[in-house]
Amino acid sequence: MADIVFAILAIFALVGAFGMISFHSPIHSALSFIVTILALAGIFALLSAPFLFAVQIIVYAGAIMVLMLFIIMFLNVRESNFPKEPNKFISMFFGSILLLPVNIFIVRAFLKMPEKSMEIVEDGFGNIGSLSMELFTRWLLPFEAISILLLVALVGAVVLARKEES
Amino acid sequence: MSNSITAYMFLAMLLLSIGFLGVISRKNIFVIYMSIELMLNAVNLMFVALSRYNDLMSGQIIAMCIIAVATAEAGIFLSLIVVLYRRKKSLDSDIFNTLSQKEAL
Repeated sequence: MADIVFAILAIFALVGAFGMISFHSPIHSALSFIVTILALAGIFALLSAPFLFAVQIIVYAGAIMVLMLFIIMFLNVRESNFPKEPNKFISMFFGSILLLPVNIFIVRAFLKMPEKSMEIVEDGFGNIGSLSMELFTRWLLPFEAISILLLVALVGAVVLARKEES
Repeated sequence: MSNSITAYMFLAMLLLSIGFLGVISRKNIFVIYMSIELMLNAVNLMFVALSRYNDLMSGQIIAMCIIAVATAEAGIFLSLIVVLYRRKKSLDSDIFNTLSQKEAL
């Protein structure tokens, strides 16, 4: 059962990702990317990470992509403002040839990993309680560093996007 | 058997490759930004799969930190796009060459 769910979600993720880099209009790309994000959220749930499943949907699909769509519509981009990309598929083809040896190397490394059961566990692995116990004891310093990073990003975004005096 | 670590790593590798192809082959800065986000998502998937594989929760914490960093990046990147579009009226990544040598010549 989990195999079928994983296969469907993986196909959705790959098709959404490929559509994201192929569509001409950024709106279509963003909508296609949302499919990928939701499929990845489902895969997180399969990997017994229920809190990350919720965070992925709320933060990525809910906040980042809505901000993205908002900015695309706010800029009011015309069709004539899109860059002309006549040979994007040619460069994708050559790029995939370039990536092929690296990927073969990585797959050979993955195939050496010993098999282990990846079933969904029930005993609270990855839910809010156990995750926050881990986060606020062993990972407290990175947590504080990220809070400072978010504050800096907030101030930086306000400074960058304010009205310019000409 | 698709429910093994290899399948998850294979999917993460394919998503990372697609994100890389998007960065090198597109000129639209929105699509470049979304490709970077896709690569971050692929790394997230790798961390969560390894966290389940090793029965440790550290991988999930790192994935959560990556999501927070991606949020900060989204704010900065989108405000940069707004400023650049206001100045140049274009979304083409090739014309943002103020810092390159070509402009001065």
